[in-house]
Amino acid sequence: MPVAPNSNLIPRRAANSKIPLKSLRTLRAAVLAPLLALTCLHAAAQDAAPQFDDVAARAAAARDAGNLPLAIQLYTQAEQLKPDWPEGLFYLGMLQYSNNDFPESIAAFNHLLQLQPGAPPALALRGLSEFETGAFDDSLRDLDQAVQKGAANQPRNEQIIRYHYAQLLARAGRFQDAILQYWFFATHHIDDSDLRLGLGVAGMRNQTLPKDIPVADRPIYEAAGSAGYVFLSGDSQAADALFTQLFAQNPTTPNLHYFYGVLLFPHAPNLAVDQFQAEVAVAPNSIAAHSILAYSLMIDGRYPQAAAEAQIAINAAPDMEMAKIALGRSLAETGDTTRAADLLTQILKDDPKNLEAHLGMAVVYSRTGNREEAYRERMVCLDLQK
Amino acid sequence: MSAWSALICKSSFGRLTTGAAASALLCAIWLLCETAPLSPALAQSSTQSGPKGAAKPTPACVDCHAGAAHAYATAPMRHAMEVPGDDPALESHPNLTVQQGAYKYTVLTKDGKTSYSVTDGTDTLTLPVRWMFGQQSQTWVLEKDGFFYEGLVSYFAREQALATTPGDGHITPHNITEAMGRKLSPWEVLQCFNCHATNASTGTHVNFDKLRPGLDCERCHIGAVQHQIDAANDNFTTLPKALKKMDSQDTANFCGQCHRTWDTAVRNKWKGIPDVRFQPYRLENSKCFIGNDRRISCLACHDPHQHVNHDQAFYDAKCLACHAPAKSPAAVATAAIKSCPVAKANCASCHMPKTQLPGTHSMFTDHEIRIVRPGEEYPN
Repeated sequence: MPVAPNSNLIPRRAANSKIPLKSLRTLRAAVLAPLLALTCLHAAAQDAAPQFDDVAARAAAARDAGNLPLAIQLYTQAEQLKPDWPEGLFYLGMLQYSNNDFPESIAAFNHLLQLQPGAPPALALRGLSEFETGAFDDSLRDLDQAVQKGAANQPRNEQIIRYHYAQLLARAGRFQDAILQYWFFATHHIDDSDLRLGLGVAGMRNQTLPKDIPVADRPIYEAAGSAGYVFLSGDSQAADALFTQLFAQNPTTPNLHYFYGVLLFPHAPNLAVDQFQAEVAVAPNSIAAHSILAYSLMIDGRYPQAAAEAQIAINAAPDMEMAKIALGRSLAETGDTTRAADLLTQILKDDPKNLEAHLGMAVVYSRTGNREEAYRERMVCLDLQK
Repeated sequence: MSAWSALICKSSFGRLTTGAAASALLCAIWLLCETAPLSPALAQSSTQSGPKGAAKPTPACVDCHAGAAHAYATAPMRHAMEVPGDDPALESHPNLTVQQGAYKYTVLTKDGKTSYSVTDGTDTLTLPVRWMFGQQSQTWVLEKDGFFYEGLVSYFAREQALATTPGDGHITPHNITEAMGRKLSPWEVLQCFNCHATNASTGTHVNFDKLRPGLDCERCHIGAVQHQIDAANDNFTTLPKALKKMDSQDTANFCGQCHRTWDTAVRNKWKGIPDVRFQPYRLENSKCFIGNDRRISCLACHDPHQHVNHDQAFYDAKCLACHAPAKSPAAVATAAIKSCPVAKANCASCHMPKTQLPGTHSMFTDHEIRIVRPGEEYPN
């Protein structure tokens, strides 16, 4: 597949996570309107000293001139004159981030977020700053919220946000969510060796940050990431060849088949089943592999096999939700509706909006002749679908 | 919802799958009927090696199941796909043309071969038609440079003319290749061929050299080939699963492999009138659907070996099997089920309204059985 020219790469500075100033212009624009409105209100209410206006103007001029140290100094001074000046806090935090002053940047955004809780650009920038200080859990929390609020929808910012977000998701064990972030890059033909490494790490279910992967281990992750990238780019035939080659070269490496199965699943669950079966053969003690195999078999309608696999997973990990859903649904389809209802009810107790559990309950009622309850459950499913 | 479920249900992957599946199904909407000879697969005894090898020539399906096999020879599913030279619709309309915007399309059939051409007046692209999906109304899957395309125009039996392929109306071609057809993902190609042909795929690859157009007996009756071989040796212990014994839930799931199950439609968040094509999904939306009662099974009304019966009255007995007049044995057995206060005939004409599927030039029966109120929107 063709790849985009290097101008589309994630900025090299992303490797040490300095966000380019120009990348933040749209971020800045997004936050400016509400901030300026707020500023006007403050201006009307306060007796703004002429000194503040002068310092703020000089800070803006220094910022526009790219003089980071002076701009930071002046914005800091302006904030001392008017401590709750949101626009100043945003620029101060942004400039400090750009200047690698990450703890100071976090402090500025902490202050800003006290004034404007949940502001997506501030959350995103604080999250990126926290990433640099190693506060990865805080960073993930902020980026989760920021992305949910649309901070990654700005074309110029989404690359750097998604790149860091993807790494954090994998670190937290949310591998599928991480792959979705990398999928964005592949579909936009944004290619980079760091991206491929990150995708390989997420695909192979490693919670280590890509930068911490030992050099000796990198080739397998890079190769897996490359195959995954090609798949996500849309060239499934080329990807299949790459994965087949990988399997031949690494017949005992866990999580390679798993990765390919995850990629195949949304398109062809039956083909994903083949990969998950291969994964179980490579890693027979992997609960995750048994669990996802069970789930895929269930989705593919192979209920007796799904039930057997799910039972293996549940025996080892009784609270494994994916396996419980697979077992509950499969038992509903194969006749043990009592146990099925028990399992699915357990799921719904913790997660009342679990679609698969409601689908399963609809089947339980349908197969036991409870027409009204079956219909009610189907309507619940349709409501959840909205 | 688990992260994995979220991936399936919420992700862009899901949207991608939805699009692929929906468009693949557009290939499946024309299952119309023409008289056709008994297919070779049904009619001929087989001497091919089966799963365990055959000691003597095996009987054909028709040798023992003559009624079903003869009827099925002309059934729509048997002709879900045709190949050139075996297509009465195109044989009787050998020169079809249509102007669509800046592009003119021509489908020529001569000497058992069909070609599909598109021209903008300057450039012309002509491709052979190798696979025809549907028998009367039909669309064509075309191959160019190793990729597969769904022809941007299709043949519609009602108008006996070419028009935009259903679902492709939103496409504005920018070049001759885009005007020729919509590029199919490998998954769409697999879905198209798996539902319209027999022995169509192995893994991620379509078996173009081995597939057989349309659905042979063994496409549904899995194990039929082994059964043929064993039957030749008087071994009847390896019978295929008796599909007619399945309950309505299993039947809906089985037919839904191609016609789409309720789960599939819900998981993919399919909405709107295009869903009317997904009969198992629509049927399960009905208040009266229940999984353990064969009276509401697909097979209660339809014999897949036969043509669809278009006489509304034919289905009355199926409805009255539950919604029987008071005091009848059926009514006593199903006391909670109401009988219709308006009529006792042509039930489907009111309770399963015909719905025009946009862009298809076809009417579909909505299988969501319900009381239809005037002005009511199509229920999702």
